[in-house]
Parts: sequence; C-alpha cells; structure tokens
Amino acid sequence: MAQSVLRKIAMSNMLVMVGLTRRTSSRSLTTGKKLATTKANSVLPPEREVTKSVFMSQSTDIYTNLALEDWMYRNMDFSNHHVMMVWRNEPCVVIGRHQNPWLEANVPFLNDKEIPLARRHSGGGTVYHDRGNLNISFFTPRDRHDRKYNLEIIKRALYRDFGIKALINERHDILVRDKYKISGTAAKLGRTSAYHHCTLLVNANKADLSKALAKREHGIQTKATASTPSPVVNLVDVNNRVTVDNLQIAVGYEFLRTPALHLEDGGENQISKQRGFQFINPTEDWFPGLSELKNELQTWEWSFGRTPEFTVSRSFPVPEDLLAPSKVYSATQELTISMTVEKGLINDVTLNIPPGLVESGFHGEASVITHLKGKRFTSEALTALQEAMLRHTDGEVRKLDDKEQFVAKCFDQVVNTI
Amino acid sequence: MLRQRCLIQLTKQCISRQSLLKKNVNVTFCKLQYRYNSDAKERKFTDRHEWVVVKDNIGTVGISNYAQESLGDVVFAQLPDVGTEVKAGDECGALESVKAASEIYSPVSGTVTAKNRDVENKPGLINTSCYEKGWLFRLKLSKPEELKDLMTDTQYETFLKTDVEKEH
Repeated sequence: MAQSVLRKIAMSNMLVMVGLTRRTSSRSLTTGKKLATTKANSVLPPEREVTKSVFMSQSTDIYTNLALEDWMYRNMDFSNHHVMMVWRNEPCVVIGRHQNPWLEANVPFLNDKEIPLARRHSGGGTVYHDRGNLNISFFTPRDRHDRKYNLEIIKRALYRDFGIKALINERHDILVRDKYKISGTAAKLGRTSAYHHCTLLVNANKADLSKALAKREHGIQTKATASTPSPVVNLVDVNNRVTVDNLQIAVGYEFLRTPALHLEDGGENQISKQRGFQFINPTEDWFPGLSELKNELQTWEWSFGRTPEFTVSRSFPVPEDLLAPSKVYSATQELTISMTVEKGLINDVTLNIPPGLVESGFHGEASVITHLKGKRFTSEALTALQEAMLRHTDGEVRKLDDKEQFVAKCFDQVVNTI
Repeated sequence: MLRQRCLIQLTKQCISRQSLLKKNVNVTFCKLQYRYNSDAKERKFTDRHEWVVVKDNIGTVGISNYAQESLGDVVFAQLPDVGTEVKAGDECGALESVKAASEIYSPVSGTVTAKNRDVENKPGLINTSCYEKGWLFRLKLSKPEELKDLMTDTQYETFLKTDVEKEH
C-alpha cells in the first residue's frame, strides 16, 4: 500500500518534471532570443578547432596596456581563438581592483619619483612593474578560464628553455628555489570572456620595488583586499641567460606548441596550426574606443576614488612648548586625528584635542571639520585645512600660529606619509 | 489495430521514462519540499548564475549556490550604490574571490533601492548563505516582464546539468 502511494507520488512528480521540461523547450523556441543565444554561447568548439595567438604589445605605458587588455576582453570573441599577450611597462605600481592605494603603495614616494599608480580591473594584490618585468595575459572564454594551465605553460617554458625548476603554490604564485616568488597572479571573469594575467620578475629594480610597495604600518582600517608580501627574486639571478626578450619568446612558443585545453607538447606540428606571434600597436585607429578606456583608467576617480571605504587614525604627542605654561599634565598630551574616507573623499573627521592644547588657546575644531568634508584624501585636504584655520580669525590675512601649524603638520602626516 | 499499437507505444514510452527518471525522483521530492518551505518557487535564475526574487515589484538579487561554489571564498563584495539605474544584463558590481574579480550582472532592469551592508562587511556570507543572508542588492523593477526570460528553479537545475555534462 505504502509502496503504491510512494509510486504515485513519484509518478506525479515525474509528470510535473516532464511538463516543465516541455514548457522550457517550447518557450526557448518561441520567446526571447536571449535563451537561444545563451545556448549558442555555451557551446564552445572542440579543442582541435581552437587556434592560438601571441600578441606582443608595442606600448610600455601602463594605462595603455591595461586599456588594451580591457578592450580585448570587452570586444573580442575568444571561443575559437585563445590569446596570450606579452607586455611590459615603464616603472609603475599596479593595485588590485578592490584595494586601497594609500595602504598598499608608498604614495609619497611614487609622487616624488613620478611613478604612476594604476588600478586594474582584476582582483588580487599590488605589484611593481618596470622594464625588467614581463607581464603575460591569457584570454579565453569564461568557461575555459584555467589559471593552472596558464601557469603550467610558464613553468614548462622556464624549464625547457632555461632549465629553471619552478613550482606553483596554492595561491597561484610561481616560486623558484622553494620559496622565492617570481610571479603574481590576478584574474577577471565576465559573462562570456575572462582573462588571467601575471607578472614575471626578470631583472626588475628590487630596491625601487620594495620602496614603492612599502606599506603603512598602521592606522588604516578597511575591508579592502589586502596584498600578501612575499620574498621575491629576479629570474636573472637564477639563470643569467634570462632576459625579458628571450623569456617572452620562450613562453610564447610554449603557449603555441601546447593544445588549447590540455597540457601536452604538440611540438612543431602544433605550432604550425596556430596563428603565431603578432605585434600589436595599441592605438585608437586599431582599437576604436581604446583612448576612452585609457582616459578613464587615468582619472583620479578610478585609481584613488574607487578605494573601498576606510578609516584612518593617528595620534601625535604635542610638543611641550605648545602646551599651556605653568600647568603640569599627568598623561601625555596627544592630538588624535581620525577620518573616514569614502570614494577617496574625506567624509568624517574627528579631532581629539588634548586639554593641554585647548588651555593654551587652540580652538579651530569646528571649522576644521566642516571645511574638510568632501575634500580628496591628498594635500588638497591639507590646503583646505590651512585655509579653514586662517578664516577662523575673520578678515585679515595672517600666518598660522604655532599651534595651528602643529595641527596642520600632523594632518599632513596622516595624508602624506606611510 | 492502429489504436492498439498507439497504446502499446505510449505505454512503452511511459515505462522507459519512468525507469530513466527514477534516479531523479528522490531529488525531485526533496526539491519540492524545499520549494514549498521557502520562497524558492518564486526564485528566477539567469544563465550567469544570478538569482532574483520579486516581492511587490522589488527584486532581491544574489548569486546561486553553483556560482558561490565555483568562486570559492569571497573576500570582497563591490555592490551597486542605491539609486543606480541598471538594465538587465548590465555589469553592476563585482565579487572578488582568491585573486579573481567576477562581474555581477543584474538579472532585471530597475533602480537599486538597497545593498546588503552585511555582505560588504562580511563577504563570506555569500558562501555560507547565498540564498538568504548573502543577498547582494535590491532593485525596483522597471520592466517586470523581463522575469519571463529567466529560468525557474527547475529549469535552472536542468540548465546546470546540461552545462556540466557539456564540459565533460
């Protein structure tokens, strides 16, 4: 009895299922192109129909190269054409899409050395580039995105051409000599296409690298993606025959001699089936819309303004000569500045002024706060602060007094030092 | 005679279907139970693994369990600001898992009315509770008819199965 009831339930479910599947199929025939195109998209050609190219970007400008990457991702169809792009840049620092530049990079050093900072579209951590660093991007359909495969190509090329034994760790870094990182990875996944890019240190300036990426010790609180600093080594120190030029050729050939979806040495025969190496000149003529993408990458609103909300807080001991004379204070007199920064703009400021400074006659607090709101978290805010303190004594132009100068200096340190 | 043959044919078909589908019976039963116990019967899916549940013309959007699993641990959620107007299929944010930023596409057109602050503060909610606490944003639908183009729970399951089969 129970069995038959169960069977009945099963039967009715089955009918529901059949009914539903029927409805689906009839619907996809009648309504919306959308479903039909979806189906078409998800049918990717078999491996043997996929050809490969190696693009060699002729630009060494970080913004141009990032824009080119984005352009290809947006406009090209990779379903039967997988592309590897090799490129390099003049010195620059590149942060991940959801990172905080003030936390990850030494912004004052970059300003000083005129090293550009760029925010890329992919995730991951902050890296330093210069001409001694090779960047490699792999473009595939989203459903064929395979980071492990790409890194294996690089690993195989390092071994085949230079006898360098490398290993890939669970973070998708490439390491040599057990622990030294030579490559960092990041990726962007979209609806139909995806790309994975990585760096390869060949003979980068390690001193500048570590200075440019010197991190703030403390003071910033945020949910932004954090970088993982690792000991690095240049490939040239592992094998002095490696150069950026011969490495890109080595990796390029390795990519071409490997079938599109699995790791196997297809040799010359495989290479002859591919589209080969192509020089790419990333200009507006060749890639309509490229300059717009580039311009956007260069704006402050993108590089700095896209920083996830953060708070920064620092305390500074007040020098004794600024405190009210003839008073003895039990605790250290500290000025604490706290700010929340949203979209790179100062949103909220709290000044914690110690009694010693108040009693000696400092009272600029309210105006300071109102004038800082909405200012960029740069020296622009400092200028606004100084003006605010000046305006406090209505009318006449005068110099900041010692106490105001002290507050301004502290403020400058919050914004401009690491 | 003809009628008899027809009948035999039909019975045959029915039996073969039954034996074919037997494996699915248990699953389907669980599904049904799940569906009647939650709002899952109203949940619509896109082919890019976002879901939307609409109540009083306000849609709540999130990503499916399949998407959550394939992303891995989400470490950052970038969600659209309130007031943003989006069209169906527009990029409107991103989820970052280990080193990869994945675009979020809006399943329907409308104006964003809320984003999930809890998910911004604790992106892991997307992994632990993708259909409940891990919702991403809400929007006021401007073209409710677009819901017709999305997949129902059952259709989505079928879609996943065929998709996975294709990969192998």
